[in-house]
Amino acid sequence: MADDVKPTRKNLMQIEERIELSERGHDTLEKKRDGLIMEFMDILDQAQDVREDLEEKYQQAQRAIDIARATEGDVAVRGAASALKEHPEITTQSKNIMGVVVPQIESTKVQKNLQERGYGVLGTSARIDEAADAYEELIDQIILAAEVETAMKKMLNEIETTKRRVNALEFKLLPELRENQEYIEQKLEEQEREEIFRLKKIKAKKEEEEKAEREQEREAEAEKERVSADD
Amino acid sequence: MSQEIAVIGSPEFTTGFRLAGVRKFQNVPEDDKAEKLDDAVEETLADDGVGIVVMHDEDLDHLSRGVRQDVETSVEPVVVTLGGGAGSSGLREQIKRAIGIDLMDEEDNE
Repeated sequence: MADDVKPTRKNLMQIEERIELSERGHDTLEKKRDGLIMEFMDILDQAQDVREDLEEKYQQAQRAIDIARATEGDVAVRGAASALKEHPEITTQSKNIMGVVVPQIESTKVQKNLQERGYGVLGTSARIDEAADAYEELIDQIILAAEVETAMKKMLNEIETTKRRVNALEFKLLPELRENQEYIEQKLEEQEREEIFRLKKIKAKKEEEEKAEREQEREAEAEKERVSADD
Repeated sequence: MSQEIAVIGSPEFTTGFRLAGVRKFQNVPEDDKAEKLDDAVEETLADDGVGIVVMHDEDLDHLSRGVRQDVETSVEPVVVTLGGGAGSSGLREQIKRAIGIDLMDEEDNE
């Protein structure tokens, strides 16, 4: 890289400007990364609580449906499951955390009462109701987990990109720019030294010439005097 | 935009969710998981009407590499896995990569 730059003062000024800009960008990105990680830690705590609850609810729900299956038979449970009329729906809104858009999920029609379920009161037992209840709760928890985990995934992606940018600036771009800067500075200094040396040389040469001229003149004068003395 | 929840898994797994009103589901019997689960997951992930996909953690092992990666990184729809304990799917790996420390592990030791 250093070979490609022309050692001129203009280039040096440009590189110095770029170094300043890159350093400012590096500082800002570093702050952003730290901020994101702090936000992420908060969400991580939350996510772990949600996960624990989720696993607990899942086990409860499984137990409930196993009991329903054991007492009513698999066919009855499946029949009831096929009869559901209302379906849970979710709507997503977004929230902005340090430039990362994270979703906020709202759910409707998850918790239903007996009439809304639609499989009828006769012909099914309370066991099935209990199982349905447990699964409705589980779905609520799943929605919560989905919200938190999406936020985590998005933030992790952002952290990774920011980290890459910081590292690229710190370990690639800035060292290269500094190397170029140093190269140009040294080249310019060398040119200056050469220039001074050249001037000195020229001066010495001129002095020598002048000296030789003077000598010649003196010799010519001496010659003249000798000639006139001879006469 | 209103979306729905989808469930993928064995009939035993999905029945409970259907009882709670989940309408979109893919039943993949235990024996066919090796062949059919990939297609089922891909189809569900491509569905715009689905906001959340629920799967069992063990079923992820049946997926091929590419699909599994899609599942782990997909944000829309987001895939929530059940039954796998705290270290949920690829999240732990991603944290390790992005932050440099295994935060989940630290939490377990406490």
